[in-house]
Amino acid sequence: MKAFARRMVAIDRRIIFLLIAAAVLVPLLRPFGLPIKVSPEVRAVYDYMETLPERSVFLLSFDFDPSSKPELEPQAVALLRHAFRKNLRVIVMTHWLTGTGLADDVVSTVAAEMGKQRGTDYVFLGWAPGAYALVIAMGQDLYTAFPSDYRKIPTKDMAVLEGVRSLRDVNYLISLAAGNPGIEMWYVFGKDKYRFEMAGGSTGVMAPGLYPFLRSGQINGLIGGLQGAAEYETLIGLTGTATAGMDAQSATHFVIILLVVLCNMFYFVLRGDPGRSR
Amino acid sequence: MIFFKRHLPLAITFVMGITFALQYYVPHPVSEAAITAVSKWMQIISGFALLLGIASLFHMHAVKIRRQAAGWGYSLVLYGAMLGTMVVGFGSHGETKVDGAQTAFGWLYDYTMVPLQGTMFSVLAFFVASAAYRAFRARSREASVLLLSAVIVMVGRVPLGQVLLPWAWDVTQWLMNVINSAVRRAILIGVSMGSVALSVKIILGKERSYLGGGKDA
Amino acid sequence: MPALPTEAVLGAWVATGLTLFIYSFLYKDNPLFKLSEHLYVGVSIGYSVVLAWHTIFLRLLWEPLAQAVRDAPSEAGSYMLLLPASIGLLMLTRFVPRIAWLSRLAFAFVVGFGSGVAIPRTVSAAILKQIEDTVQSLAPTGTGGYSAFMDLALPQSGINAIILLIGVVSVLFYFFFSVEHTGPGRVAARTGVYFLMLAFGAAFGYTVMSRMSLLIGRFRDLITFSGAEYGYATLILLLVTVLSLAGWELAVRRKGGKA
Repeated sequence: MKAFARRMVAIDRRIIFLLIAAAVLVPLLRPFGLPIKVSPEVRAVYDYMETLPERSVFLLSFDFDPSSKPELEPQAVALLRHAFRKNLRVIVMTHWLTGTGLADDVVSTVAAEMGKQRGTDYVFLGWAPGAYALVIAMGQDLYTAFPSDYRKIPTKDMAVLEGVRSLRDVNYLISLAAGNPGIEMWYVFGKDKYRFEMAGGSTGVMAPGLYPFLRSGQINGLIGGLQGAAEYETLIGLTGTATAGMDAQSATHFVIILLVVLCNMFYFVLRGDPGRSR
Repeated sequence: MIFFKRHLPLAITFVMGITFALQYYVPHPVSEAAITAVSKWMQIISGFALLLGIASLFHMHAVKIRRQAAGWGYSLVLYGAMLGTMVVGFGSHGETKVDGAQTAFGWLYDYTMVPLQGTMFSVLAFFVASAAYRAFRARSREASVLLLSAVIVMVGRVPLGQVLLPWAWDVTQWLMNVINSAVRRAILIGVSMGSVALSVKIILGKERSYLGGGKDA
Repeated sequence: MPALPTEAVLGAWVATGLTLFIYSFLYKDNPLFKLSEHLYVGVSIGYSVVLAWHTIFLRLLWEPLAQAVRDAPSEAGSYMLLLPASIGLLMLTRFVPRIAWLSRLAFAFVVGFGSGVAIPRTVSAAILKQIEDTVQSLAPTGTGGYSAFMDLALPQSGINAIILLIGVVSVLFYFFFSVEHTGPGRVAARTGVYFLMLAFGAAFGYTVMSRMSLLIGRFRDLITFSGAEYGYATLILLLVTVLSLAGWELAVRRKGGKA
């Protein structure tokens, strides 16, 4: 038994890599489709969106780059679909330079599918530098921060921005964040002074760190990771990429749990053994 | 000369710091106009800072190529990719789409940058699994608590876990909303106090590392 | 199904190839991985330079400045944007050793502003608001009474408020190293440690979830690009990658060295 445990503890890690690859691949090729349970923090975002009247101003900040695309793009798609379905005026922007093309792709695609017009129903402002300085600039005067949109069209007389002078005129802001600049920055430099309602969507890595803001009501909801995206898709009745990925998510989690349990079993077998692998 | 190299920068930091710390509490139109103007300027200045970072990278790899240091061929690939992207990008006037049609710059972004960046970070998934197998052991009471919490959350946050062990979802929610919130809050308060203290030290000139060191700092 | 445009199919082959080259690192660090790694950095920098130029220098600086000067050439206010441009240029003097000290003026401006705006906002948002939510009244509000107070499933219940308070104080105490952790202090610190372990375990669970999601996203693309409409890109390039790695491994072993 000890010899077996010693061999297993020293197993080539490439076998573990193959196990993980199989755990992802098999459910993607043969999905089993389990129900998605919705958490209160995701439902809070959905419920607030539902209360917004038509033509309310909704700002979605794509604060991520392609490295977080699998987690945050499904959230963005679900939120944009919901916003367009509610006929909200959608303003999209990004703090992350390398995420600009991705944000443009997503908003253009979803808007085209929902029959929405650029300039009338939505605008993509693009990227601007400054992070916290940009938030302050937007809070003071949106047109100073973004004199033109991503397509170089002047923002001053855009129909979608009618009556929007600054962040004070935004009815709801959601930051989809993979790090800094992100949700915390939007709150500290934005909501704290300019008093708009806001929520956050984040990667799984970031989500635990945002719960203090959720608890204190500084953000009114939180969509965490791919699971959060799947929950939001369930709420809006969409079977999107997040829902499709949850089977693979389940499989990989259980593989990791199995690996951890095995690792501890072998550890306890070898404990006290002078030749054991540390 | 020491006035321009040390005292003047410190004076600028002090004046800017105090002014814009107090600005938060002054709703007067002059105060609001000041922060509007300066935050706009900061956007432009941070653009130059970005240029600084990019120029440093240029320089680092240029040195590697010039000295033909180990792996200099790859630095050549980097330079080639950089210049190629810039040529294509400026040729497309910085646009990834024109009238709904994808430009060459857009093609480069969608089919090289997005998959490369996405894949780089996804490789970590394999290493997380390998590390979990090799190192995640219940060596002590504290480690056991950590392990148990991790397993409950991994079960509770996926549909399969919610079906097999329904209570895991409720426990996960409690762990996140109460225990995790408490810990993260304490860390947030501590870190924020530290950053405020650092900001005060910078404004008062006690912290000067941003000046770049040297005997005149 | 209508045929896909050539650029889409070509793009799929390029994306798949680069993805598999990166994954080849899982076998061993190798030239295919190094090539794609450097390509990634190069393309990222190139993309950043192009976008930064068009956004910062054209959209934020040149166009507003040119417009203002055209509209009111004799007004001093029209030239205001030259000020941040000058400060930005001062930053670049860092590259010229003899006048590098000028960059300190620019950094002082930036750092001073950043520190100043951060203080009141951080105190308000990250300290005061957080403390406010921690020291909640335990008097029951609304219906529910004792059962609502003791309901662990309700995040805002009285019992959870007490646990939260104990957690925040004990973790803060654990990180306070100016006082020795003995006697009652040791109890507080040990409590803090257990809270930390529970939270870090939860954080690990979320990290696993996050990393696996990234992998799922990439594998979805690889599965899509394995289809006939993309010329079976994934399958063919997987074979090419495996054969290339095998060839490289053999070549290295024949040389007698390690890769």
